[in-house]
Amino acid sequence: MAGGRKSKPAGPAPPSRTLVLDNGASTIKAGFVTDTTTDAPRIIPNCIARDRHRKTFVGSELEKCKDFGEIAFRRPVEKGFIVNWEAQKEIWDREFFDDKAPQRCDPSETRLVLAEQSNSLPALQLHCDQMVFEEFGFSSYCRVNGPAFNAYNDVQAIFQILRTPDTTIDVPAEVILLIDSGYSHTTVTPIVQGRPLHPAIRRLDVGGKLMTNYLTRLLSVRHFDMRSDPYIVNEMKETACYISLDFKGDLEKTWKGTRGQRSQDYLTGAGIAKDYVLPDSHTRFHGVVRDYEPGVSAKARKGAVSTEDILTLRNERFVVPELLFRPSDIGIRQPGLGDLVMQSLSVLPVGLWPGLLANIVVVGGNSLYENFIQRLQTEILERVPDSCIVRVARPEDPVTSTWLGAASFAKHQHVEKLAVTKQEYEENGAGWVARKFSAGLGVEL
Amino acid sequence: MNNFGVVELASAKTTNAPGWAYVPDTRPAPGSAALPSNRKRAARNHAGLSLSDASARQDAKTRKDLEVLDRDTHKDANITIPPRTAGSRAQNKHTPNVRKILQSQKTFANHLDDYQALVALAETNPAAAAALNPANAQPKPAPPPTARNSPAPQPTPSTATSKRSAAAAKRAAAAAAKEEKERKEREAREAREAEEAAAGAERKPSPVPDDTTTSDPPPASDVEMADAPSLPQSYPADGTILPAYAKPPPAPHASDADPLLVSHVPAFPADDELRALMAAPPLSYLEARARWGDEERRYPPRAFCEVCGYWGKVQCVKCGARACALDCLEAHREECVTRYGL
Repeated sequence: MAGGRKSKPAGPAPPSRTLVLDNGASTIKAGFVTDTTTDAPRIIPNCIARDRHRKTFVGSELEKCKDFGEIAFRRPVEKGFIVNWEAQKEIWDREFFDDKAPQRCDPSETRLVLAEQSNSLPALQLHCDQMVFEEFGFSSYCRVNGPAFNAYNDVQAIFQILRTPDTTIDVPAEVILLIDSGYSHTTVTPIVQGRPLHPAIRRLDVGGKLMTNYLTRLLSVRHFDMRSDPYIVNEMKETACYISLDFKGDLEKTWKGTRGQRSQDYLTGAGIAKDYVLPDSHTRFHGVVRDYEPGVSAKARKGAVSTEDILTLRNERFVVPELLFRPSDIGIRQPGLGDLVMQSLSVLPVGLWPGLLANIVVVGGNSLYENFIQRLQTEILERVPDSCIVRVARPEDPVTSTWLGAASFAKHQHVEKLAVTKQEYEENGAGWVARKFSAGLGVEL
Repeated sequence: MNNFGVVELASAKTTNAPGWAYVPDTRPAPGSAALPSNRKRAARNHAGLSLSDASARQDAKTRKDLEVLDRDTHKDANITIPPRTAGSRAQNKHTPNVRKILQSQKTFANHLDDYQALVALAETNPAAAAALNPANAQPKPAPPPTARNSPAPQPTPSTATSKRSAAAAKRAAAAAAKEEKERKEREAREAREAEEAAAGAERKPSPVPDDTTTSDPPPASDVEMADAPSLPQSYPADGTILPAYAKPPPAPHASDADPLLVSHVPAFPADDELRALMAAPPLSYLEARARWGDEERRYPPRAFCEVCGYWGKVQCVKCGARACALDCLEAHREECVTRYGL
C-alpha cells in the first residue's frame, strides 16, 4: 500500500500500558502490565451489595462493609459471562475510570486484555466487544479464552520439577490439561501450545455458588434459616469444608447412631465435627472454626451460658464439596470431575493422553479445598490405564493464576497477533472482530 | 417431523418485535439444561437405570430444588445502582448499541433461549437466521458449515474491502502452497517413520502394563528410554507443533530391554491431526456441557437421608423421600406434606 493515505500509518504503536482483567463471577482480578513491570493484581468483589441498613456497596467498597448479616448481592456476571452490563459498567467505572478510582487509567491510551470463559454465546461476545470499544473506548483490545492463559505461566515450576537455574522457560507450555473450578462452573480444557482444544472442552455445572447454596439448604434444614446470609455461609464453606478422601468412612463417623444409643464417634466428634461460631455483628464480624467440644453447642442452644451462636458442622463439612466429584448425589445428571476429565480426553487422540495426564493444573477458588489435589489424582488414577503417570498440581495462588498467565500473555508476542485496535473495529465492524477472536491464535506457531 | 402435511415455507423476512419473536421450538426447555428434560413418566423414558426409583413427582421436586440451588440469591434482590459521588467521569452520550445493551434486562437464560431459537431457525430457514445473527454486523463470507454448529463467527479471512481481499487471497494461496509442500514432506517422513516403528514393533515384545512406572521420570523422557537403543533420536515423530524431546536421553541401563520394564507409549498424533484440533471452532454452550455416559449409568446414584445426611436406607411411604432410620423418618413425617404438584 505504498503512497496510501498519510493520515493512516501502517499501525499506530501499541499502547505501552495494558489493563489485564480476569472478570470472574465472584471477583475481578485486575492489574496493569507494561513492557517491564507487572503490578500485583487487585482482587475486587464483582458485585453490588446491599446490607441490612440499605446501604449499597459497589465493587471494592465492600471492604468498608463490616456487618455482612442479611447482605444481598447483585452480580453482573452469570454463569461466567458478563450479562448485565449496566451493573458491570458501574463497577468498572468506579474501579478504573473515575477520577478517584483506585486503579485509574485512560482507556484511550491503554490496551485491554480480557479473559472470557469458554463456549460463550455469540450475542454476549458481541455485547462485550461493543461495550469495550464504543463505551469505554480502549485503544486496543483482545478477548481470549481464560483457561488458556494458564499455559503462559511457568507450568513446570508448579509441578516443582528440579532443574538447573539457567533452564529456559518455554512459554506457552507445550501441553497442559487445565481444570478451572470457579464460582459458576468447573471446566476441563486441554491446551496445546497456548491454544485450547475446543472440541474437548467440557463443563460441569457445579461451582462455588451451587455449593454455597447447597450448604445453605443443609443448614436451614438442620439448624437455623441461613438463606438470607449468603456471605456468612460462603465464609463458612471456605473455612470449614474439606474434601473427604474416604467418603464412606467419614460418613460412618458422623452418623448419630441408633435411637437409644448414640455412636461413640458422634459424641466425641471423631475429629470431623467442628463448632462454627457465627458472627454476631456486634463484636465479631467473621465466623470462627473451633474444635468440637461435646456439650458446648447444646448449652449454647439453651442460651443459658453463652451468647455465642454455635453451629456444629458434621457431615456438612465434606458432603458439600463432594458434589464436585459426585454431582448425582443431589440429582444433577452430570458426571463427576474424574469422568469429566475422561470425557474430555476421549475426544482427543490417544497420543496426547500421556502428556495431558502428566500435566494437570488446577486453578480456581474451589481448588483451595483441603485434599482437592489428592482426591482428584485418585479419581483420575482409577480411570486411566495403570502405566499412565498422573500428576496434578495447583499453583501457589489458584485464584490469581489465570490473571498471572494473562499478564505474561500481555508481554508475549502472541498478544500482537490477537489484539484489535479501535481503528480496526471502526473500519471492519464488530462481526470481523468476533471472527478474529474466535479464530484465536491459529495453528501457525 | 410430519406437520400434518403442512409445509412451512421459507421466507427471508422474519418480523421480530423487540424482545421476542416467533421461532420453531423443537426441544423441551433447553435452558434448564442441568435437569431432566421431561418430567412425565421419567422412569419409562430413560433407557437403562434411571435416577433410582424416582417417580415423576420426585423428579419434579429434584428439578425444583436444583433450580433453587442454581439461583444467585435467595430472594430477588432488586438493588439499584447508587448515584455517583462527585468526581465521576462526565456522562458522555452513549452510542445506540451501547444504549441497547445497557437497557437490556435479559438474563443468561434469556440469551441462551435466544441462541437456541437462532440455531433452530438456522436449520429451517437459513436466510432469516443469517439476517438475525447478531455476529453478522458485516456480511459474512461463508454460511456456517453445519446448521448444528454454532452460528458463531467462523475463522475466515475478511473480504470487507476489495484491495484487502486481493492481498489476503494472494497470501492465502502462498500459505496453501507452502502448506502443501510441507505436508508432502511430512507425509514422506511419517511413512519412513511408520516403517521404522513397525520394524521396531516386530522386535519389541508386546507391551506389558507394569506398576513400576510411577517411580519413572515423566513420559517425555520415558519415550526416549523405551526405544533409545534401537530407534533414531526423533521418536515420536518430530512434529512442528510438538517438537520431540531434544535433550540427551538418560544413561542407558542394563535392563532397559527387559520386557517387564519396557513402557508402552502411544504414538504422537500427526501434525495435521493436531492442527485440525487446534483450529476447530468452539462448541456451543450446551454442547460443551458434560452429559452422563454409560460409565455413569452403570451404578445407581447414591441416596442420602434428607434429615441428617447419612445413607438414605428407607423411604417415606407418602412422598418417597429418603431417611436413614426410624428417628429421622419420624422427624420427616412431622413435616411431610404431599400436595399436588409438590
